[in-house]
Amino acid sequence: MSRPARLIQTVILILFAAYALAPVYLVVLASMRSEADLFAGPLALPWPINIENFRRVWQDSGFSSYFFNSVKISAAVTVLVLLSAPLAGFAFAKMRFAGREALFALFLAGLVVPAPSVIVALYGNLQTLGLIDNQIGVILPQAALLMPFSVFMMRTVMQDVPDELIEASTMDGASLFGTFVRIVVPIARPGLMSLTLIVFLFSWQEYLLPLVVLQTETLKPITVGAASLQGRYGVDYGGIAAAGLIAFAPVVALFLIMQRSFVRGLSAGAVK
Amino acid sequence: MSDRTAYLFLLPALVLYLAFVALPIAQVVGYSFFDWDNGIIGDYVGLSNFARLGGDNVFWAALGHNAIWVVLTLAFPLTAGLILSAILAERNRHVIRWLSAIYFIPRTIPLVVAGIIWGWIYNPIFGLLNYLLESVGLGGWGGAWLAQPDTALLSLNVVGAWTFFGFCVVIYLAAIQSIDPSLYEAAEIDGAGWGRKFRDITVPMLRNSTLFLGLYAAIEAMRFFDLVWVTTQGGPGYATEVLTTHVYKTFFLVGDFGYAATLSVVLLAIVLAISSISFFVLRAK
Repeated sequence: MSRPARLIQTVILILFAAYALAPVYLVVLASMRSEADLFAGPLALPWPINIENFRRVWQDSGFSSYFFNSVKISAAVTVLVLLSAPLAGFAFAKMRFAGREALFALFLAGLVVPAPSVIVALYGNLQTLGLIDNQIGVILPQAALLMPFSVFMMRTVMQDVPDELIEASTMDGASLFGTFVRIVVPIARPGLMSLTLIVFLFSWQEYLLPLVVLQTETLKPITVGAASLQGRYGVDYGGIAAAGLIAFAPVVALFLIMQRSFVRGLSAGAVK
Repeated sequence: MSDRTAYLFLLPALVLYLAFVALPIAQVVGYSFFDWDNGIIGDYVGLSNFARLGGDNVFWAALGHNAIWVVLTLAFPLTAGLILSAILAERNRHVIRWLSAIYFIPRTIPLVVAGIIWGWIYNPIFGLLNYLLESVGLGGWGGAWLAQPDTALLSLNVVGAWTFFGFCVVIYLAAIQSIDPSLYEAAEIDGAGWGRKFRDITVPMLRNSTLFLGLYAAIEAMRFFDLVWVTTQGGPGYATEVLTTHVYKTFFLVGDFGYAATLSVVLLAIVLAISSISFFVLRAK
């Protein structure tokens, strides 16, 4: 390829990297800017570096509680999915039973169901169950909405477990469940890791369910907290930027550390 | 092995799924055939809730915006992803690893937070976009991006694209890396340039990924809610109203349960139709 052509391509690559990073960069700068520094323009480096915004948001605006609620809800959803989806995926991948195709189709249909389309009935049901303004009322539906994707992904993962290993174990007298725990789970570990990360990420990002289910401020997760802060603080951009950073930094960091695992999971459905 | 063991394995996932997804769907379909008064179910009214769709201008506007969103997504982030991955595939593996990670970062950021950040970039007074335009002498182009009906939807789509193009790069890259390199070598011997190779080898070989991403984008375009809700809530006027926000408002703000259920059924019917098309198209390959 000619040198100018390659140069143009490099410029394109860099421009899109700037498109991806500029908003993130902007938030990092703004979060560390002191009030006196505000008129230096949005791209000037903040000096002196100021962590007052973080302190204010974390302590005074209840962000520590939003943050730990997010951790709690996302962890609970992840555990629920991990306890159920791999078993179902294994059944669909390795077992023969009546109604298998129909049940799998039932899960498959749920792959695209948007949360807003079920909220009309779900909200009433949660009310009946007494789960409005209760984090369990967010955790259960969220795990359920993520179930089709998780079961689908786990079926793909479980299909790669060699039949001989399963047969050898059951022939030795182990129950199928024992075989699953001792033989299948260790082999499927990379897939389980991907599932864990993706489910955690998706539930961390969830907004609609906690928005409608939770009313008490101390129960809300960080997405709802950040959105309400935007309304409350009006023009306190330092505070909003610090809040935004707290809301996305953990998942971005998690992604960067575990990139391979993430990407494998997210492209599982596409490559098949 | 008996069927019973299999059902026991399925039980936890199935119970959760039935209770919190399948049952509400069935209920929503049922609700749409009834008249509702203040959240209390009334008379069976057949299809009369559905008949209201015809005269509901907000519904048609919302549907139109969902459709525009699909077209814009195909035109920008998908195409960008295709070109970027084709360029990137020829670089060394450190560049590939770093740049695909950078492109993917926006997708890990919650859409609510993305909406807040971009709402701020678009702010007519403090916003970065107007500031940049001004600093290069194009201040006249500046505006209240999200507050003007003619720019609001497009401006939001730039945010949607921001979160989506990295995903396209990742999917395309995986597919490009599985193309037989001898195809490119043969083309080079024939004297084909980068453009020819891209058009005659890369694009046709990536047809399945394009199909997958296109259908995925179409489904996402019907499902998205967070981004609109934290930025414009469907406004100004109804300029960024989409089906999900219309459902939300009809249910929580107007309190019209029957019609909200009807809108939900339409939304479900559309996403299920797209997904069954994609299922058959992709399976046929």
